[in-house]
Amino acid sequence: MSAVRPKSWYLEKLAQVFIWFFLIAVCILVLIPLLFMFTASTMPAIDILKLPYPWFSDHFHWQNFWNGLRGPEGDFIFVRNTLNSLIVAVSVSFFTVILSSITGYGLAKFKFKGRNLVFMLIMATMMIPFEAIMIPLYMVVTDMGLQDTYVGLIIPFVANAFGIFLMRQFFIPFPDEVLDAARIDGASEPRIFWNVVLPNAGPAIATLAIIAFRAQWDNLLWPLLIVQSDEMKTIPLYITKYMAETHSDEGIMMAVAVMASLPMFILFFTLSKYFVSTEGLHSSTKG
Amino acid sequence: MRPKQGFSMEQKKARWGWIFVTPALILFSIFSFYPMLNAFYESFHNKNLLSLRPPRYVGWANYTYLFQSKDFLNSVKNTAIFTLGTFIPLLVVSLILAAFIMSIKKFQRFFQMAFYAPAVLSSVVAALIWLLIFDPRGIANQGLNTLFGTSGVNYNWLSKPGMLRLSTIIVYFWKYVGYFTIVFVSGIGSIPHNLHEAALIDGANRWQDFWYITFPLLKPTTLLVSIMAMIQCLKTFSTQYLFITAGAPTRPINVITLNIYYTAIKDHRIGRASAMSILLFLVMFFFTYLQLKVSKTEEVTYM
Amino acid sequence: MKKFSVLTVLVLLMSLIAGTAAAQVIELTYWTHTDDNRTMIENRYIEEFEKMYPNVKIKRVVNEASKMGDLVLTAFSAQNAPDIFNLPIEQEFGYMKHYRVAPVNYEAAGYKGAEDLISKYQAGTFDSVMMDGEIYGLPLELTNWAIYINKRVFWDAGLDPETDFPKTWEEMADIADKLTLRDGEIITRRGFDFRYPYYLVSVLPMVEQLGGKLISDDGKTAIVNEEAWIQVLEFMRDWGPNGRNLGSPTYAAARKIFNKDNNDMGMCLSGFYQQGRIKVDNPEFYESGDWMVVPFPVFENAVNDVAASYYGHYLMVNAQTTPEKQEWAWRFIAYMLDHPMEYLLTVNIIQPRNDLLEDENFMNLPYMDVFMGDMERAHVVFMHENGYQFERFITEAVEDVMLSDVPVEEALESLRERIQEVLDDEY
Repeated sequence: MSAVRPKSWYLEKLAQVFIWFFLIAVCILVLIPLLFMFTASTMPAIDILKLPYPWFSDHFHWQNFWNGLRGPEGDFIFVRNTLNSLIVAVSVSFFTVILSSITGYGLAKFKFKGRNLVFMLIMATMMIPFEAIMIPLYMVVTDMGLQDTYVGLIIPFVANAFGIFLMRQFFIPFPDEVLDAARIDGASEPRIFWNVVLPNAGPAIATLAIIAFRAQWDNLLWPLLIVQSDEMKTIPLYITKYMAETHSDEGIMMAVAVMASLPMFILFFTLSKYFVSTEGLHSSTKG
Repeated sequence: MRPKQGFSMEQKKARWGWIFVTPALILFSIFSFYPMLNAFYESFHNKNLLSLRPPRYVGWANYTYLFQSKDFLNSVKNTAIFTLGTFIPLLVVSLILAAFIMSIKKFQRFFQMAFYAPAVLSSVVAALIWLLIFDPRGIANQGLNTLFGTSGVNYNWLSKPGMLRLSTIIVYFWKYVGYFTIVFVSGIGSIPHNLHEAALIDGANRWQDFWYITFPLLKPTTLLVSIMAMIQCLKTFSTQYLFITAGAPTRPINVITLNIYYTAIKDHRIGRASAMSILLFLVMFFFTYLQLKVSKTEEVTYM
Repeated sequence: MKKFSVLTVLVLLMSLIAGTAAAQVIELTYWTHTDDNRTMIENRYIEEFEKMYPNVKIKRVVNEASKMGDLVLTAFSAQNAPDIFNLPIEQEFGYMKHYRVAPVNYEAAGYKGAEDLISKYQAGTFDSVMMDGEIYGLPLELTNWAIYINKRVFWDAGLDPETDFPKTWEEMADIADKLTLRDGEIITRRGFDFRYPYYLVSVLPMVEQLGGKLISDDGKTAIVNEEAWIQVLEFMRDWGPNGRNLGSPTYAAARKIFNKDNNDMGMCLSGFYQQGRIKVDNPEFYESGDWMVVPFPVFENAVNDVAASYYGHYLMVNAQTTPEKQEWAWRFIAYMLDHPMEYLLTVNIIQPRNDLLEDENFMNLPYMDVFMGDMERAHVVFMHENGYQFERFITEAVEDVMLSDVPVEEALESLRERIQEVLDDEY
């Protein structure tokens, strides 16, 4: 075996080293703020803005988590607020998936007059800044008497232009022959949708459900307007409230941030195969 | 062909099409179209949010006012800086990361998940973390001081106009780079293997393979992602809002959405705020039109 | 004859409707900002009130103080506003101007009339809520700010707080400089820092000390006495990171870290209520007495002796609700406000009713003399329908000179232009 290797072999190795170095470097930079959140949540506030930052403290300041859980009024409203966030986010993603599939299917597989106009109108709703429609939207929802209710938190977000777009793209390549075969067998249109089309939409549905869940988990401005009682508040409202309180303490804030992010992290790690793979997202959006 | 009773197949299908889209249209009418039309109407009127007087018709006055208002032009500038400053690095870096991830054999999934992890946090939490990091005593200053071997230099992350803009861009970049990396990864993954194999058999090295095979085939994905990212950047609100609430100066990061919020909610001038919204809407509409055109002509659509 | 009978039927019908309405339960919504201690006592007042008048139900809704303005405004613009609410007085002004709030129902509130009400409170209390001879709100709290000092930080820097405390702004800068500790440019202990977003309350009075004004008395011209403004803006510039580096808006709010006594804050600007917060946050520090309160400083070349403006929260009643609801709303407000001593001792807020101010225990409260002394040197916070906008413009001007290296003259000119534009605007 010859010890002399071609020049390209060395270049290839060099490139390989560079690629790994780059990926690891970016990975560290991206994860540092998360590491900071986790470590800071275990420290008393006085340590967090100390120079230099003590990355790992010798003892776990569990009081941060206890105080964050207890809340400024000591009524454990955090638990209730987390539950609210879950209820709202789960409901919105459930109804969004249903409605977006139905609408996306209708737009993808049925030719009718005005279809393109309907599609353009729906797409246009993606472009209006929320701040602009905030007040008329608030009027509509309060006129229906929905302030401070779950319905009021959920219903404005069920019709989701992006979701419809996503599902439409997914359904376009669905073979028409399969649908026609079902029609010839005498299946009704809703039945075809429910039994033939929907079961094949798994990956797209998972992607959309996660996107819709995340958006609601993150929503701040709308709950702020529509929620009145502490019992109906969601997690972002709880956090802003805690920030506004005079007792705000960096350690507790980070502990609350960790606790508020936990459900999302759990969801992310369990469902990651749907959106972190070389196939999942692609197959769901291929048009 | 035997004529059917009542509706033909086509008519029947058209009717079902309408049935499928109607529920969404009803919801959109109540929660999107009506508020949008309302904003459009208000933009031609002057109305103080607190006043009980009906809106006064002023024609194009709100629009002409905006085009010579220093404040609005400053917001346009800030939005443009933020959008360009965020989406170009986002695009370039996430494309590079995706290409690198696809070129390695192990840990593909780990890197994707690591890059995506920040997207899991809500904006409020992200702003909380970064405000502590950018605090003068925070780890951003410490990190740069260690890197450059200096001591006690304050980089004024949240106070110098340029640094402040950079800070908002960093937060946004950090949150979304993983998302776009994943989109590119799936785009690269969808390119048929035999194309790469053919190129390699022809003696192309990996760089040439990327440049001549992967990159051109990724063009539709790239264009689409760039326009999607652009719309997202044009609509940015919460990072700037939370930074300003925490004491950062307003002027360098007073983006259009923030200006809309201030003009309507703080200054009560709903007509002027609506006119800003309509202008922003038109800009976004232009880019989305572009996006749809691109996706139609190229026949390949990833998210 | 026919006309008469129709009228009778109408009157009968009306009284019937009124009769059934009276038997119905009156539901009042009351929106206010978070304050744990106040929630505790007000919930009790609500309970007592509902027991006295079983036909009245009161729903109390709390929100963060910083979000209250947006919420109340959105609710009013959507015609879905609460019956009773409170906001900072400078925000409430617009609601008065646009007749969205109702004048006090003196009888329901237990007064003979406007003069009777005025005579029961400290002089000037109602100046800010008077319009066309009517009073539009009752004070939930009046607050002014003075300087809180952490004596331990003074001792640590070799100063004697009792004699070395700052009396002028020039001294303030020098003393703050002595108290400040830094690691390079990064401040690890501040001597004093301003309350940054609240420029109308604490920075505008500094301009007024030098004879300047935000707008002229006729309300038509922006920026009176440029020299005064330039001196204040220069003072702020020198305070910031490009000057003597004593503080900046991006550091943690001074009054929040003051209580912790972590040797990182020497002085802060706050109201009487801060004492209650120190007690809760850090009982050891509160009991030690190693803190004190001194008056708001003045410039050496001041022409007016002006302290930080006082501001208030006034309880107001929605003008769009039924007269009956309004009447009950005022009755309920008056019932709550009939406990000024409890508000003071439990919530640490001052309701300037004469019987409270004349109470012998009142002046004996810690540093009450400082706050009341400053109150006499002060006037109510600047009020204008666009006051909030002006405050944002001042904020941006100060940020420009402190953080963005904009020359003082340029920042002032831009401030003047922007305020003038709002004054001239016939929106």
